[in-house]
Amino acid sequence: MQQQPKPVPPAEYQEQAIASMDAAALVRILQDKSAPEFQKAKACVRLGELGAKEAIAPMAALLGDEHLNVYARYGLEPIADPAAAEALRAAVAKLKGNVQIGVVNSLGKKRDELAVPMLGKLVYGQNVPLAQAAAAALGSIGGLASAKELQAALGKTTGMMKMVVADAALVCCERLIADGKREPALALYAVLSAPTTPKPQRLAAMSGIIAEERSLARPR
Amino acid sequence: MYGFILMTTRRQMLQTAVAPMIVPSVVLGQRAGHVAPSDKILFGGIGIGSRGAHDLSKLLKIKEAKFIAICDVRNERRETIKSTADQNYGDRDCKMYEDQYELLARQDIDAVLIATGDRWHTPLSIIAAQHGKDVYCEKPCSMSIEESWALAAAFKRYDRLYQAGCQRRNGANFALCRELLRAGALGKLQTLYANVGPSVNWPPLPSRDWLAEEPLPAKQVLDWDRWLGPAPWRPYHSSYVRGGWRNFYDFHGGGILEWGSHTVDLCHWAADLDDTQPVDYEPVGGNTGPYAVNCTYANGVKLVMRDNGWDGALKTGSCSFRIEGDKGWVETGDLTKIECSDNIRPLLRPTEDARMALENHMNEFVRCIRTRRMPSASAAAAANSHVTCHAAFIAFQRGKKLMWDPAKAEFTNDDVANRMRSRALREPWRV
Repeated sequence: MQQQPKPVPPAEYQEQAIASMDAAALVRILQDKSAPEFQKAKACVRLGELGAKEAIAPMAALLGDEHLNVYARYGLEPIADPAAAEALRAAVAKLKGNVQIGVVNSLGKKRDELAVPMLGKLVYGQNVPLAQAAAAALGSIGGLASAKELQAALGKTTGMMKMVVADAALVCCERLIADGKREPALALYAVLSAPTTPKPQRLAAMSGIIAEERSLARPR
Repeated sequence: MYGFILMTTRRQMLQTAVAPMIVPSVVLGQRAGHVAPSDKILFGGIGIGSRGAHDLSKLLKIKEAKFIAICDVRNERRETIKSTADQNYGDRDCKMYEDQYELLARQDIDAVLIATGDRWHTPLSIIAAQHGKDVYCEKPCSMSIEESWALAAAFKRYDRLYQAGCQRRNGANFALCRELLRAGALGKLQTLYANVGPSVNWPPLPSRDWLAEEPLPAKQVLDWDRWLGPAPWRPYHSSYVRGGWRNFYDFHGGGILEWGSHTVDLCHWAADLDDTQPVDYEPVGGNTGPYAVNCTYANGVKLVMRDNGWDGALKTGSCSFRIEGDKGWVETGDLTKIECSDNIRPLLRPTEDARMALENHMNEFVRCIRTRRMPSASAAAAANSHVTCHAAFIAFQRGKKLMWDPAKAEFTNDDVANRMRSRALREPWRV
């Protein structure tokens, strides 16, 4: 069989100079309405690596773009400045569909505690994939407020949604333990151990309780 | 009545109730070695391409297992794998799925074989664990440091078994080298050498470019959105789908991840370093020609990831690794033969062919599913070897020596490197 020649990227899809541009030049690409999609995508990735605070607004402006949403989040996720999370929170209300889910996922990844009240409401929405993303984000964020939201949602959800909520609650338990909040974690594990919890999550909760009890090595 | 129940043990109850119903297998005409259908471990597969088909060929030989479901975004692949499984078993039991959630929802499936492109490995493995499945997953197991930790955390959380496709842990020649180190024959460990992917095949810095856009095929032939999955969007080109996704940053970790996921993993396994990573990473060389990353563990042991060509300088074969102690050294690879210092030669013995490693590895996984023992290439071990590779990959991209704190899981001398520990996943995917 004849081997096909290896395709070469065309000039317009080569990163070239973008790889070594400074933040100011990269931001100019994002602000240039005539700049091609490829250049904007690559600029976002590099700006995320640079952690450029000045790029937050121009990148947030791309969150509604079906192709560039992931690149904008690529840039925004690693920026520690609170303005990056703020921009993501602000975008949630303005977006719909998968791009909205992507932004919710990013808030979870950034463990943005200020997003908890908003995410807590989204868990009960009619948009199931969005509700699932919100639950997962709550678990990832962790903390007592997330635990409260997830515990409440456990009692009000069924099927696949309940499974996702339970999974998020398990993650939340681990976050609580890591933060030294053992008792609330054990309480949430106990709720998850109920027979109404999907089997994989119920067994995981029981394992979590056993592991935590063992970690104290108390005599019995 | 209450007292009677308390005094009757579960075992006694079972003996009374079940014993008269037991019929010797001989009476049923069953042969020695036969495994009852109800006792088989049932497998599904997701994304079984050329490499996955090789894994599957070993799985199909295992009598204790049965492969009953395939999920793939390519209809041609689904049909091929179903045909392979059905021919093997002489039935039509293998069901086909386009959606991984439908396959994973099947309560009768115990484990899944995942052999998709690298971008899918961590998300799919975690979803499988959430559905209570054990997982055999091809390498590299993750696309970033963050994914590596998420993978290990999920399998610990769900107490599910994970076998990374690092089959050389079950290769006899590799095991003999490990044995010589552990028995003290090599003396005090000095340096581990992990051959990484040759730059002529997989440069250490994959391209961040895109290929020119081609017309999308019909969705029932290939669902491009599903094929991309968690990878950032880019226009369709048929080359990606034919295996040409390698060497593109969005899909691939370059030569370091391509082979380091095997050979760094071997080094960790041999030297009992499965729970840690080196503390510094110094890149050497460029994107063309031989390259290396020199690393040091907290205990002073050195790890050298090096491009030494396909078969290595000593022609021991692909994916070779070398252990140097202060009293001797050994080196082996996929050609089975072991090279060593003169003082070690009398200690060598013939070993099984290295090509048996995959079959052994798959067998180990099936045994572990039955016994619930941890497989040798667990998610935790894979996380540590993959974090080591990703850290080296980041050092190479940064072009500078990076310092790493394994306890804090962060670089201590480069903020940009820390921001490269994670990659954004395309919506709606997450880990």
